Amino acid sequence: MRPPAIAHSVDRRTFLKASVSAAGALLVTIPLPPRSLSAATRAAEASTWCVYLTLHPDNTAELMSPVMEMGQFMRTTGPMILADEMDLDWSLLTITWDEPVLMRKNGKGELDSRYGQVSAGGSQSVRNNWDYMRQAGATVRRMLVEEAAARWRMSPDSLIAQDSFVIDPAGDRRISYGELAAKAARRRVRPEQIKLKQRSEYRIMGKDAVSADIRDIVMGRPLFGIDEEYPNALQAVIERAPALHADIASYNREAVLAMPGVRHVIEMPRKIEDHWPGGDAQVLAAGIAVVADSLWAAMQGRKALQARWKNGTSDDSAQQIQEFRRLVAGDGVANKLIDRGDVDAAFATADLVLDQTYEKPLFAHACMEPFNCIADIRSDSATVITGHQVPHWVAREVENITGIDGLKVTVVSKRMGGGFGRRGDLDYVREAVTLSYRIKQPVKVTWTREDDIQRDFFDAAAVMRVRAALKNKRIVGWQHRQAQTRGRPEASEYFPANVVSNYRVEQFASTSNIPCGPWRAPTILQWAFATESMLDELAHAAGEDPLAFRLQWLQPYREYPIENWAAKTIHSGRMAACYEAAARLADWGRPRPKGTGLGIAGQFTFGSYAACVLEVSVSEDNELKLLHAWGAIDCGFAINPNHIRSQMEGGFVDGLNAALFNDARVSEGRVVNDNFGSLRWIRLREAPLSIEVAIIDSGYGPTGVGEPPLPPAGAALANAIFAACGKRVRRMPIADSFRI
Amino acid sequence: MTIEFTLNREPVAASNDKADMPLLWFLREDLRLKGTKFACGIGQCGACTVLANGNPVRSCVMRLADTQGMAITTIEGLARDERQLHPVQQAWIEVDVPQCGYCQSGQILSAVALLERTPNPTDADIDAAMTNICRCGTYVRIRKAVKAAALRSKATRL
Ligand code: FES
Ligand code: FES
Repeated sequence: MRPPAIAHSVDRRTFLKASVSAAGALLVTIPLPPRSLSAATRAAEASTWCVYLTLHPDNTAELMSPVMEMGQFMRTTGPMILADEMDLDWSLLTITWDEPVLMRKNGKGELDSRYGQVSAGGSQSVRNNWDYMRQAGATVRRMLVEEAAARWRMSPDSLIAQDSFVIDPAGDRRISYGELAAKAARRRVRPEQIKLKQRSEYRIMGKDAVSADIRDIVMGRPLFGIDEEYPNALQAVIERAPALHADIASYNREAVLAMPGVRHVIEMPRKIEDHWPGGDAQVLAAGIAVVADSLWAAMQGRKALQARWKNGTSDDSAQQIQEFRRLVAGDGVANKLIDRGDVDAAFATADLVLDQTYEKPLFAHACMEPFNCIADIRSDSATVITGHQVPHWVAREVENITGIDGLKVTVVSKRMGGGFGRRGDLDYVREAVTLSYRIKQPVKVTWTREDDIQRDFFDAAAVMRVRAALKNKRIVGWQHRQAQTRGRPEASEYFPANVVSNYRVEQFASTSNIPCGPWRAPTILQWAFATESMLDELAHAAGEDPLAFRLQWLQPYREYPIENWAAKTIHSGRMAACYEAAARLADWGRPRPKGTGLGIAGQFTFGSYAACVLEVSVSEDNELKLLHAWGAIDCGFAINPNHIRSQMEGGFVDGLNAALFNDARVSEGRVVNDNFGSLRWIRLREAPLSIEVAIIDSGYGPTGVGEPPLPPAGAALANAIFAACGKRVRRMPIADSFRI
Repeated sequence: MTIEFTLNREPVAASNDKADMPLLWFLREDLRLKGTKFACGIGQCGACTVLANGNPVRSCVMRLADTQGMAITTIEGLARDERQLHPVQQAWIEVDVPQCGYCQSGQILSAVALLERTPNPTDADIDAAMTNICRCGTYVRIRKAVKAAALRSKATRL
């Protein structure tokens, strides 16, 4: 790791802290004020963000990428921003691995990452790091240019920087960054001399780059937490109560302790606490940990436990869906989340009212890499190695469990084999920390796939009844009435809000023990499924083309202010442009053969806009085939088009999987389909043959692409099926209604 | 008695009391070769795919005893050396297939086996052979990369 020698007091007149390493390399740390804080807090927190960049004499560079990686490509995107602003030669840059996450405590004593937002979630990483990375890059570039200018006794403004060299265009000479670095480190740069590039000057951003880690991945290098070894670590697996809230009744303790390699058998307490999206939930199941010399021995011990359990809940997901159906169909009073204009009057004077109910089951996360965590708890320090979306929460958890100061906890956050929101939970971390604390030895906890699906925090199941009123082919009223396992619809401030002025969203409270949590674009796929299916049904009812109907509906194209944690405005014209671009790629107007149809759907998610057109065929004997897809996204400035396309492809396929197959079922308080044998998951032969993507340049600043591609998929599929065969599907999992 | 097989062109011996251990865990835990991945443990997802005499097998459900006398190849043994990657690995880089990357060792080895049997696969051949789950949904790029690898291999043969 780089030495974390950060100055805590910042000279407000200079941005930069630089030092020279023993090898003569320049180490730059750039504290910048965090984004989106009040001026007062800004001053107090001014030293909270840094970039660790090392420039070596041979002109190679190393960067410690500050943002967690789970396949959303921030280890490539973040460095591209910095490298472009500092005119670094991209091919000379190495991005380092396994750096401990640097942390600090704020004025209230709360742990946070020391460098701005290194955590990943909510499609916010690019936005959180965009300004910092550019400022950092521009600052280093200026230092190097000033050093070259001093050497040549010229004005810095007559020099240019390019591909890791400072160039004197008049004198036809150049010096490498590596040569300049050590001396440049002593320079202080004034803020007013730092100039960010114009977009037209970008040389790295805006062009396709491949993943920084591609070679390591295709060679099978051990990049993930599950691959990690730790000196003297014991291996633990945990048999957990299958039913929610159940306690241990009995198990074969002595027999397991006598097995070869088994060292400890330890009971793990159940834990219930408030959990997103609200309400008490079981965050740790009661369990029995088998701790052994090897993972294999621990797994054998676990099998021999023959644990029995008692007092589990009787939660049943199918019954809950029936209850939700009953609630939304009845005229019981629901909680009004939003009620704008005069919805009742709009319905009373409408030409046509459609009233339809849409459903989705619980979605499991099933991150490809099962959870795992290494904890080494010492007397007053600790090390935790794991893949986690929010590493400072890991340190906070060690502090909570052991009392060790969080700043004495080294957290190494590994590449994650998928996160999807689930790796923001702490259960697997708590288990490892608790065990190591207890047995005073390093422990690695490894989960199985069954452990993962049984103990998931699901995306809520929901039943949504949508009533929409048409007058003169315009939508004049919209009511969304729903019940869901936990939480609320996250997208209720997005369209149709604002575009339809008489707009109501209401929800019935549910009492369920089934734990829910953030799941890639939480609850937004369901929102798009209900909204975009209804838009389609309205278009057909009005005798309009579904694309033309949407474009007309979003008029006039304008920006609306919204209240949402992830976005302050939403623009109907940017949404419309996505529909149009996706439709253009799909050649929307071209008639398709009988049995084949196109469906369109779009959704705004956390600041970005995405729309998709999907082509499917449905045969006479009900066989469904997904043929081709075309997508368009407006995520503002496209830093790396290659990875935006990749996220569009993968996110759309993930959404199709959710709509077709993802269906975690709970009966007698336990998940009954807990592995890929019983929980079906999309495979290559079921995915579209091709997905073509248009990236729309709307001139806005960059926003995220991890979640936005997913939500339109379910509705695009349902709408395509209708176009292909005239059958309207309003219930997920859609694979239940077809052969696929 | 010992179990003997070749692993990435080197002989390996394991004691018979490991006969029932799945090959996956022998590779990962005993030999510390971490490129072969665990994701379901029941032969469903293909993350643990290795080549056994050139055929793709799911090592999480292959008993160590059943490897007797076989030639096993894992992702670590695919490229003969650092600078000379296998054409499938090269195609994977060209198309930039992976997202999280966790399933990709298994995908790459499945593609290698497919192209050995069927050097110019059709979409239907790819559908039938590439049955591994990718949780990140990189299927469109996997399909592209298999075709790109077929072209590369053809170019090498010419
Ligand atoms: S881990 Fe072997 S097939 Fe899934
Ligand atoms: S790349 Fe993440 S599971 Fe395939």
